[in-house]
Amino acid sequence: MPGYYDISDILMEDEAVSVAFHVGANGVGLLDPGTETNSVEKGAKIDLPFWLAHELCRRRAVSITIPSCFGQKMKKDVQADAACVDLGTRYPYFYEFGCKLFPLVGDKSIGLFLRHTFANRYKEMLSKSHTASLNAIPKFVLRLSKEEYQLFEAARSSMVEFKKWRVRDLGLMKTTIVGHKRKTDLH
Amino acid sequence: MAGQTDHSLSIFSAAEVEFIAEDEMIEIVPNIRMDALNLLCGDFGPFVPQIPCTVPLWLAVALKKRGKCSIRTPDWMSVEKLTQVLEAERESPREFQPLPFHYVEISRLLLDHAHDDIPEVYMVRSLIEDIRNVRFHKVESGLETISGRTHAVKLKNLSAMEVNLVRPFMARVLQAFYKHDSPEMVQQADTSASKRPQVVDRGPRRDLRPR
Repeated sequence: MPGYYDISDILMEDEAVSVAFHVGANGVGLLDPGTETNSVEKGAKIDLPFWLAHELCRRRAVSITIPSCFGQKMKKDVQADAACVDLGTRYPYFYEFGCKLFPLVGDKSIGLFLRHTFANRYKEMLSKSHTASLNAIPKFVLRLSKEEYQLFEAARSSMVEFKKWRVRDLGLMKTTIVGHKRKTDLH
Repeated sequence: MAGQTDHSLSIFSAAEVEFIAEDEMIEIVPNIRMDALNLLCGDFGPFVPQIPCTVPLWLAVALKKRGKCSIRTPDWMSVEKLTQVLEAERESPREFQPLPFHYVEISRLLLDHAHDDIPEVYMVRSLIEDIRNVRFHKVESGLETISGRTHAVKLKNLSAMEVNLVRPFMARVLQAFYKHDSPEMVQQADTSASKRPQVVDRGPRRDLRPR
């Protein structure tokens, strides 16, 4: 599990979540751009970075509202076609964020939703990642979240390395091996 | 190498797996006379011309490169045997046929260095390629059935190089699935730490825990 020093964890915790304050807070008016005095009112709705929201939530000073990436629209998108949902550009830390958010928010269905999304996307990813070549980056790679990208990278690099090993020292004999690659179908 | 930031998943490069494979014993027929070699890994008897003897693969390849022997193909590398194996692979969609653990590496080394010693070398080469492809497709289709319930995956009779190929991917996938399931299940031992070549797969399993 990623820990204190993991860079992707740190980056992930920078995502903004919308929170509602339960208590008034003095001296932190910086957080709320709309306030005149240097304090936050009780019941104000503010966007905070996740690491701050997490701590305050533990002390029960705020309550976190579910961000849009886990909302109804996303669920509909995933149900339509999980593999096409563009996690890479919009929410690269989709899964990690969800896992961290899950214990803090009242909605228990997030966990299942994450798993469901992952399972569906995984099937699509499986075959493509193994057969992708070194240079061509298939477009769907841009749609993967960071975590999925690591999986993809692991599969692809081990495949590429194996191929390099196979044709190493062959020189002119390279074509004999490459020519035998054909699709085999299992009955 | 398949470098990754997660240091708990260490992997072998293909060259390292080949190095390990070179310890397999193979039969050669020397054509020179030489005294016994007393090496750390064993003693290899005095070499007399035309008398076959068994040596490790690395030694066989070294002698072959210097033209001092000819390598006798192992039994499993004959065209008949390989054709049988290929037919059997194509027939059973979920099982792998028993093949020597390092067949990929051994066949590659022999085909590279000793292709004049192998009868029908092109046939053998293409058969081995086909076998490899069919097995790899089976591995992939098996991986598709991993769901959240899979705690470990068993792939019987998979060879060293094939295992090495899927190891990083599979370990990470199992880790990812485990992570997504943890709020819903009781804490359990982390399965992704297993790096043995034989691991357990039973697809959808009966749950042992009360839900």
